[in-house]
Amino acid sequence: MVELLAPAGNLPMVEAVVANGANAIYVGPRGWSRRRDRYELTDEDVREAIAMAHAGGAKLRAAINTNMQSHEIPPMLRKMERFVTWGVDGAIMTDIGAMAEVHRRFPDLTIHASIGANILNNEDVGFYRSIGVSQVVADTKLTLRELASRKEQIDVGIEILIHANYCYTYLGKCWMSPYHRLERTTDPSGKDQFKGSPNRGGLDYRVCLESWELYSGATRWEDRVALKNDAFFLLEDIPHLIDLGVHCLKIQGREYPVPLVGEMVRFYRDLIDGYLAHPKGQSFDLTPWRDTLARIEAERNVARSEGTRLLLIEARQPVPTA
Amino acid sequence: MSAFELNTSIANLRDLLASDLRAYDAVYLGDIYCRLYEANFLERPEDLREGLRILRDQGKRAYVTTYAAPRNDFLPKVRKMLGVAATAGAQAVEVHNLGILKIAHDEVPGLPVHVGGFANVYTDAGVEVLRGFGAVRFTPNYELSLDEIRDIVTTSGAAMELLVHGKMPLGISDYCFLLEYEEKWGIKCPDLCQKDLFLKQGDWAMKSVGKGILSGKDVCMLEHLPLLLADGHRHFRIETVSETPEYRREVGAVYREALRRAAEAAFQQDEGWWDVVRAHARIGLCNGFYFGKSGMDYAGIRPDAVGSFLTITPSGQ
Repeated sequence: MVELLAPAGNLPMVEAVVANGANAIYVGPRGWSRRRDRYELTDEDVREAIAMAHAGGAKLRAAINTNMQSHEIPPMLRKMERFVTWGVDGAIMTDIGAMAEVHRRFPDLTIHASIGANILNNEDVGFYRSIGVSQVVADTKLTLRELASRKEQIDVGIEILIHANYCYTYLGKCWMSPYHRLERTTDPSGKDQFKGSPNRGGLDYRVCLESWELYSGATRWEDRVALKNDAFFLLEDIPHLIDLGVHCLKIQGREYPVPLVGEMVRFYRDLIDGYLAHPKGQSFDLTPWRDTLARIEAERNVARSEGTRLLLIEARQPVPTA
Repeated sequence: MSAFELNTSIANLRDLLASDLRAYDAVYLGDIYCRLYEANFLERPEDLREGLRILRDQGKRAYVTTYAAPRNDFLPKVRKMLGVAATAGAQAVEVHNLGILKIAHDEVPGLPVHVGGFANVYTDAGVEVLRGFGAVRFTPNYELSLDEIRDIVTTSGAAMELLVHGKMPLGISDYCFLLEYEEKWGIKCPDLCQKDLFLKQGDWAMKSVGKGILSGKDVCMLEHLPLLLADGHRHFRIETVSETPEYRREVGAVYREALRRAAEAAFQQDEGWWDVVRAHARIGLCNGFYFGKSGMDYAGIRPDAVGSFLTITPSGQ
């Protein structure tokens, strides 16, 4: 049975996605995941989220998917120990050293290689399996053919992003944002927030979405170049992915309003259930689903455009001096 | 034997033949971004063999790099080129992708592995994992500061390789947006990415090599070389894969002399050095992330060394 994995950037979102049929939820402890801190949870809220998820019959994963500093690994392990004690069902991680340490310390904990691990080929999967990873998120740029090959050849759980951003660059292999603006601040616990570096746990200024001019030497060749960075919803591929036997369909979007994320989860819950219930061998009509998704997508686009506009303004602000 | 290694990168045989490499101890052959890069060593076994021979004849250490973002369909060619590297005398292979690391470890175990900047080495624990796969040298992710790199070295004792000059990689894509302009410009791939292209907006700038995005400014650690040597670093890269042979020769000569003086604890800077690096840095100079700031910032005592776009923080680190 395919699992529907939903985001939660706060406790009301945990409640909403559980109510709308998520099988699993992921949250980011503050400072330790690939979102800005306002979409992350305190440890006590993580504890509450675990309880809420379990009460609703869902699993709860902690996204500790920053590329952390060496000296942050011991506090990360202490944090993970608390989460394990509280019953967390899995950890979403990126740094290979941190993954290996967590696997050594908590061998029964399921480790999911984050999208930031940028797993692109079957040999990559073999590498990550060897350090204790049992599930991998497929990069958004992979084709169905590549996914089918992976499914056939490798005993690993595959997670597919069904709502996410399709960045110009490979996620996890991009530091355009902190090149332009990096603000070092520490929270009360001493955690460096790395504001501007999503790889390190801070926000992403989305500088790729700036309206770039293109020069060759001193000559301007183009007035506006767009580096493709689109948010997408999968629809047409969902039946194929279920038939292919992917383990998990994952929705991104901790930064969006709670009602919108609730709608996304309800849409995919009903779609998955509808497809699984329809008689095998008969065609599955996606027409009504397209109309519903178009409305959700329009709402998402408004929220995303405004978010990008504000981020690009913020990216131009001078970094405060210490 | 030199007290340090200064190395650089060259994508194809044409550039190798046109380059004066006297300043360098070692060269990485190949372009990591794109299979269609003009005459990429990584797609041409005979060129790679010839490149390795040329470097050996010049007394240089010869390294082969590999693709930074290889999909499944890259892997047969990667395996072939690893085999060429192993049999044609390469002294190390650079890997940015952990799948390729696994292949190298399993299939050419005698070939030393250098871990490249796209492999995301951020922690000492990460270094230990990679050592288990045969890695012997590490380029830390470009986002790391010197303090963070020092922490890794202190704990692990790992040999690091640092970018000291040139365009810093900022990202890699599977898509070349330049192809959208082939018809309009009347320029076809693989010539498109040879046109010295910069994305600019206000005081922001990045260099485009198609699938690769690089810093607009040149990372410049010239005045900080004594600090790098004091930290125990001995392997230094001048990134020139997207630069001209003149850049490679002239900037290399500056760093060769500067490193020699720094290694002899006689680090007197020549004004002429700054004239050279300024002349080759179209957008200006920066320190990358080495001082814990935004990558395009410059920290140091040479504010005149930077380009027109920078706000300088005098000697603040």
